Amino acid sequence: MSDALIKHKTTPPGPLEYLRRWPLQVWLGLVAFFLYAPLISLMVFSFNDSRFTTVWRGFTLKYYDKAFHNSSLIEAFGNSLTIAFFSTLISVVLGAMAAIVLWRFRFPGKTAFNAGLAIPIVVPEICMGVGMLVFFAKILPWPQNLTWPFNLGAIIIAHVSFSFPFVAVVVRARLASFNRELEEAAKDLGASEFRTLMDVLVPHIQPSLVAGALLAFTLSLDDFVITFFTAGPDTVTFPVKVYSMVRFSVTPEVNAASTILIIVTVVLTFLALKFQGSSALTAGHDGGAETK
Amino acid sequence: MSLGSSRRSLLTAMGAAAVGISFGGLSGCTKPVSKSINFYNWDTYIGDTTLADFEKETGVKVKMSIFATNDELFAKIKTGNAGFDVIVPSNDFVTYMSQAGLLLPLDHAKLPNLKNIDPAFMNPPYDPGRKFSVPYTWLVLGIGYRKSAMKDGKVPDSWKWLFDSDVYKGRMALLQEAGDLMRLGAKYLGHSVNGIPDEMLKQVEAMLIKQKPYIKAFHNDDGQDMLLSKEVDIVMEYNGDIAQVMKEDPDLDFVVPKEGSQINSDTLAIPKDAPNPEEAHAFINYMMDAQAGAKIYEKILYPTPNAAAKALMPESYKNNPVIFPPAEIMAKCEYAAFEGPARAQVYDAALTRIKSA
Amino acid sequence: MEQGWRQAKGMFWAMLTAPLFWLVVFFFVPLGIVWLYSFGENRGLIDIVFTGTWSNYAHIFDLTQPYLDIFVKSLWIATLTTFFCLVLGFPVALAITFAPPKAKAWLLLLVMLPFWTNLLIRTYALMAFLRTEGYINTTYHVLFDMANAVAGGHLGTFQPMELMNTNFAVVLGLVFVNLPFMILPLYSTLDRMDRSLLEASLDLGAGHISTLFNIVVPMAGAGIVSGILITFIPALGSYLTPDMLGGPDSQMIANVIESQFKRANNWPFGAALSFILVYMTFIGIAIQGLLERKDAGRSA
Repeated sequence: MSDALIKHKTTPPGPLEYLRRWPLQVWLGLVAFFLYAPLISLMVFSFNDSRFTTVWRGFTLKYYDKAFHNSSLIEAFGNSLTIAFFSTLISVVLGAMAAIVLWRFRFPGKTAFNAGLAIPIVVPEICMGVGMLVFFAKILPWPQNLTWPFNLGAIIIAHVSFSFPFVAVVVRARLASFNRELEEAAKDLGASEFRTLMDVLVPHIQPSLVAGALLAFTLSLDDFVITFFTAGPDTVTFPVKVYSMVRFSVTPEVNAASTILIIVTVVLTFLALKFQGSSALTAGHDGGAETK
Repeated sequence: MSLGSSRRSLLTAMGAAAVGISFGGLSGCTKPVSKSINFYNWDTYIGDTTLADFEKETGVKVKMSIFATNDELFAKIKTGNAGFDVIVPSNDFVTYMSQAGLLLPLDHAKLPNLKNIDPAFMNPPYDPGRKFSVPYTWLVLGIGYRKSAMKDGKVPDSWKWLFDSDVYKGRMALLQEAGDLMRLGAKYLGHSVNGIPDEMLKQVEAMLIKQKPYIKAFHNDDGQDMLLSKEVDIVMEYNGDIAQVMKEDPDLDFVVPKEGSQINSDTLAIPKDAPNPEEAHAFINYMMDAQAGAKIYEKILYPTPNAAAKALMPESYKNNPVIFPPAEIMAKCEYAAFEGPARAQVYDAALTRIKSA
Repeated sequence: MEQGWRQAKGMFWAMLTAPLFWLVVFFFVPLGIVWLYSFGENRGLIDIVFTGTWSNYAHIFDLTQPYLDIFVKSLWIATLTTFFCLVLGFPVALAITFAPPKAKAWLLLLVMLPFWTNLLIRTYALMAFLRTEGYINTTYHVLFDMANAVAGGHLGTFQPMELMNTNFAVVLGLVFVNLPFMILPLYSTLDRMDRSLLEASLDLGAGHISTLFNIVVPMAGAGIVSGILITFIPALGSYLTPDMLGGPDSQMIANVIESQFKRANNWPFGAALSFILVYMTFIGIAIQGLLERKDAGRSA
């Protein structure tokens, strides 16, 4: 079947066009099925006329109606997106800075800084959650009753703490392939340190910045444990809401909300790609070593 | 490159904002002091319009946050500065928190609706004289089961089927709460759920290790879901949870085992450092109102200790033998008492050993 | 390769200050509190006193206790998970790398999209597949009945597969959840690979498979190591997946830690258990450092 597909193309696949070879196509198909089948079933069952996920009882939109009229769910949704947005922004900047420092400089305490960055990745969430709970209760008491979005500040801070090391790892992997001579050339041509950084290095690491941002956004949107312990009153986030909703078996409403979340994400990403051109996800790829 | 500089200025702005937040730039952004209280509750554990009705009546806005286990609630209240005015702890945690000085003694003069509460709930062992808490709901642990899957069509009216039998091999699930498991194991062996001697705990542990190969899973209070999806045929659960799924599938039922069981009660209480204790009292009083209460219980379908509210409820609720099990069996049920923080560690260590055995 | 920090002081401090400040104040201080707890004891009903005791750690290494066994089991599950993520993810990263730019954007999106859905919901979605009456068993039942009809009923009665509440389900769930953590760093490295080497290898008559193992894998070394690290570590500390998909013996170390902080309300012991995981990370990073040095040695 895939063979037939390839024959439709006007040219045979080039040596490196792995995407056009059937074993990889099959593989991609399988991975996509693995990743998507559960989600699609979730979306389908959000139209199920039953409070429970596994038995089909006919089509309904009532859970969408409920989700849209559930003001606490909407509020939680908004809180989560706000937190994820700010946390991603700060995480990408901090993560990239950390990665560049580690890649570029020799300095005393470098090994310690490197290891220190890895700790947030490994610490069990609950452990960090408790740490944050005590931190924001005793050391830096977060005032109650702040206006939105400042009441989310503690959560955003906690999310950045566990997200930016992930960004740093991704960016560093990318930096490893950077050709230092380009930077030297830029400097020889009279560019300042800062211009060199922005015009030569940043474009090179841009794909990893996007990848890191996606990772940070995901981590923030997903986190339950640390958020729960950091949240003050009146700062319910989507996972916290979902967690307790699932516990009380009101899943179709949650499925409906998740379906909306997935659609919103797809639309937002699509818009981002339209605005930036598809280069947002792949920038730095063209004009690299493989100019042809 | 313009992108770069705009990103940098954004960074500067963010940095300034972060510093502003952290170090005292806060006075400007606190909300004007309007009357509002923070209510920390289990999710879906309130009537649809209760909070709005209360605001209409008193002008006090109620902002509800949610937790999923008593342990989470306790962790938050324990460290202080949580900012909640009304919380919903279960019975043993009422004792724990009050002993630890985390609860504000209630002023009964501000709670005239206490008269609506069934007198049987007015002097419970976990909070004598209702000094710190008023009852909100109660629930009892028992066995939920699929009628058509029971051997010889018999009702599984003994803990034996879950703790000490291979009849429902691979078709049973137990609640993943160390304390409840150990206490009910002792209950099955003929002891009270409280004051279990060490030898008996060992006996319960050995019994559950022997039983483990037949157990499908330890569930997180979603046993009703496993039952409904036919993942298991027999499950340890709360009556209210099974009552909900019985509406979905008439083949399901619930029984409180003949050895007796454990009753829990969720209560309303005020933390020691509550910012608005006055409004918190008013809110608790409102929750005990007959009309307001009926609206709540109609929605959440848990058994109510509120006699006046119960009187307003339909027959399908009042006479439901799952929501209100027969009195003779309820007489054999007990509250689990708080037996000191070390006890929870003993129970938890036992469950950890059972799971890794 | 690297520059001494004194050669570009301004740049160095500009880059270092913010991440260092954040890491220290908003991560090490909160974590430090928990670290101190691991040398503390419970006093009274709610207080924890720092006494400098090692008893919490001693308790973990007490062989009559189950904790070491649970660590070993968690390591094993995390290793399996990482292995399957690498096997599944590497071809995907390769395909994305060599895709045309437009397709590349969409493939990356394809990988990331499922992970914008809440972890809990995804795990629930997976449960619907694995259940005794879930989609897999339902499909299997239909196929079985068809085969049985052909075989004239000789296959006997249908027995559903036991998928849920097993260790298999836990590994499957962890792979499901952690796959992008593997694919992203792999892609990030592969994308910068010098393609002329690959073309040279292919031109000189090496097959695709041998080129893959002799050229691509060594060149992607750094990405593979960071992918392994970034997958293995969260897998080791995972809590929700074993809790929801596992059977009565699927508890992992994070489940025990969770119950120490919650049900058992024994924060000092929970802190000690958590820090064993932290100490193990140091070992992991040391190994990564070693591999990188070896890598650098080879390319020099």
